[in-house]
Amino acid sequence: MNLKITEQKRVSRPDIAFCLIREEGTRRVFFGSSDAKIHTLDLTDEKPEDGAFESDQGHQSYITGLAMARPGVLVSGSYDRQLAWWDCKKRSLIRKLPAHEKWIRKVVSSPNGKLIASVADDMVCRLWNSTTGELHAELSGHAPITPHDFPSMLYTCAFSPDGQVLATADKTGQIVIWDIASKKQITTLEAPIMYTWDPRARRHSIGGIRSLAFSPDGKSLAVGGMGKVGNIDHLGGQARIEVFNWEKQESIAAIETGSVKGLIQCLAFHPDGNWLLGCGGDGKGCAVLIDPAKWEIAVELQTQYHIHDFLLNESSDEIFAAGHQSIGTLGIEAV
Amino acid sequence: MNPESTQFCRPNEHDISRRAFLAHSLAVGSGTLIGTSGAVHALDEDGLNAALRHSGKSVILLWLAGGSSQLETWDPKPGRLTGGPFLTIPTSVPGVHISELMPKMAKRMHKMTVIRSLDTKDGGHGTAAETMLRGRKNEAAQLYPDLGSIIAKEFERRDSKVPGYVSFYSQTEGRRNTGATPAFLGARYAPMILNDGMKPANISRLESITEVDHRDRAELHKLLSARFARSRDTETVKSHASAYAKVHGLMSSESLFDITQEPKWVRDQYGPGQFAQQTLMARRMVESGVPFVRVGRAWWDSHGQNFETHAEMVPELDHVMATLMDDLEQRGMLDSTLVCAFGEFGRTPKINASLGRDHFASAWSAAMFGCGLQPGAVYGKTDEDGMTVAENPVGPGELFATILKAVGLEPEKEYYSGSRPIPLVNPGIHPIPDLLS
Repeated sequence: MNLKITEQKRVSRPDIAFCLIREEGTRRVFFGSSDAKIHTLDLTDEKPEDGAFESDQGHQSYITGLAMARPGVLVSGSYDRQLAWWDCKKRSLIRKLPAHEKWIRKVVSSPNGKLIASVADDMVCRLWNSTTGELHAELSGHAPITPHDFPSMLYTCAFSPDGQVLATADKTGQIVIWDIASKKQITTLEAPIMYTWDPRARRHSIGGIRSLAFSPDGKSLAVGGMGKVGNIDHLGGQARIEVFNWEKQESIAAIETGSVKGLIQCLAFHPDGNWLLGCGGDGKGCAVLIDPAKWEIAVELQTQYHIHDFLLNESSDEIFAAGHQSIGTLGIEAV
Repeated sequence: MNPESTQFCRPNEHDISRRAFLAHSLAVGSGTLIGTSGAVHALDEDGLNAALRHSGKSVILLWLAGGSSQLETWDPKPGRLTGGPFLTIPTSVPGVHISELMPKMAKRMHKMTVIRSLDTKDGGHGTAAETMLRGRKNEAAQLYPDLGSIIAKEFERRDSKVPGYVSFYSQTEGRRNTGATPAFLGARYAPMILNDGMKPANISRLESITEVDHRDRAELHKLLSARFARSRDTETVKSHASAYAKVHGLMSSESLFDITQEPKWVRDQYGPGQFAQQTLMARRMVESGVPFVRVGRAWWDSHGQNFETHAEMVPELDHVMATLMDDLEQRGMLDSTLVCAFGEFGRTPKINASLGRDHFASAWSAAMFGCGLQPGAVYGKTDEDGMTVAENPVGPGELFATILKAVGLEPEKEYYSGSRPIPLVNPGIHPIPDLLS
């Protein structure tokens, strides 16, 4: 696999961008911010002009999840526990509802666009009708307390490409696979190395599974986080990706980076399964390209900024990234 | 009441009813405040000695080692980029909001005393810890005793068989930074360090020695020591006799260090964690006459993932502080016990790329409750981003002087290091009147 990743455009900002959506067929992105607002930029512009969604009824804390409910309508989730539906064109609020008891960590839409899934630190995944906002299902299966008597966190979720299965993953490294039709658990998987509990020196924890992605055929599930950490004051572990055949509950691969460190915050497979991309970081950022033929790292890049979320363009040769005080693009090209 | 309570706490010793404390247990959970009941004495004639009952003041220091974030606890900045993601909640003091991570303390805020304007100028773990525990920096030629040693010296009974100063610090990170030393006050006021458990090592009587033999040996030692001391009235001999008596006293008070002597429902109320159980032990010790107990809770040094760390650790702090407050109040000990919660510094308002906060000593917070303080006082103010102190800056000396004054000590009081007079705080440093009752 002869590919390279290069950092291209970077728009510096005072805030932190946690999640990202792109208007299909364009280079206009919408992102959720630490200033509790949704912002939009057109990355085609040499100096993109920031546009914020303004509303007196908007979010009150970090916006950490964004999903497209249908063309022109965004759904945002926030640490303020609320989900909000927005008209992209008018940049105005359509509805807002109390969705969870604790921080919402991730919001995704189903492949057919009919459902919105939200996960939160109340350790529940809720499925919502993307059009009406009505609650469709409640999926509870993650322990609310860690084995060390502290509150756990439900960080991420992902739909399978056919939309029939949903995966959710938590701080302690537990993954639950759900059948969407029956709203029941299918199976569970474990990636415990991604959770570091320090019982002696510092007596708290760090880590957790931060990202999930199904392969295009839906058979493999990639899981992103960080390996074991010695000094949990910092994101000092190697970035880590594990891959499972979830139906067989088999581990396929466990990959750790060489030079770059930190959390893998987001994952995506190439649409044809040619590669798996993970981005995240520690005090700086990282992008890691995995060759699925060997489950080895093909490209490992330290980026200028910690990347919290990314999306691929239609041809999978451009990465749109949201991160620490930055929105930007990276290119993937053959060498 | 635990029927298994034996020599240290007998079933009828505590004049607090289980029902009352259970009601209080609900109060901790719900935040509803229940009235107090009578005092409790953990010691009685059969336990240690009635003379050991504590008549002075005590201090419990919850030492938040590594530096907890003021923005995620006592001085939130909602709506600012520096403020982080946590929402704020109103407290029982009108107009005062604190982090949503502290709902139990929010309901008890009218009993709290909070300083939001500490400017202590030192962002290094070791030197800052040394300063915060002394109210000033050590000098090259003059080391100063820490707070625990001063409180032990001032409030330890001369005939006491329990330690004057106990320090828990079970985590290893930052342990060497604690700087808990008596300096010129002498080893007598050094802390009993309980890092690896809640009980000193080797205080159990050997099985090969009977209780009668043990007692007879002590009597013989006492007789011979008295005879020896008659013609040698020196500080060295007195110190030796005092140390021996203290060790012997510790052996007879072994059950003081046995947390299982506390009823299970009390232990459950504090919670299962190490910090919670050590805080309960601190209450047990103070109740038994130990003037100063420090409970070290490390490690708050959240350079990476500050919000995850505080989401994990602040609810524990909230619960433990609320439970301790209620427990002390129920036992009638709040008027004689001062509880402080702070570490060596706070954390930067600026959020770094690892979603962490770094060391920050320019505008941070400390929290206290108990004897001598003005309940409900929130002192000082930081700017809208929490970057600087906007009103009423407080240095480590002022905080130290306020703590001393609250327990009835005059900060200007002088000790002597050789022939040099050493005031408890540096000249020109005064307690903060607005914080004192």
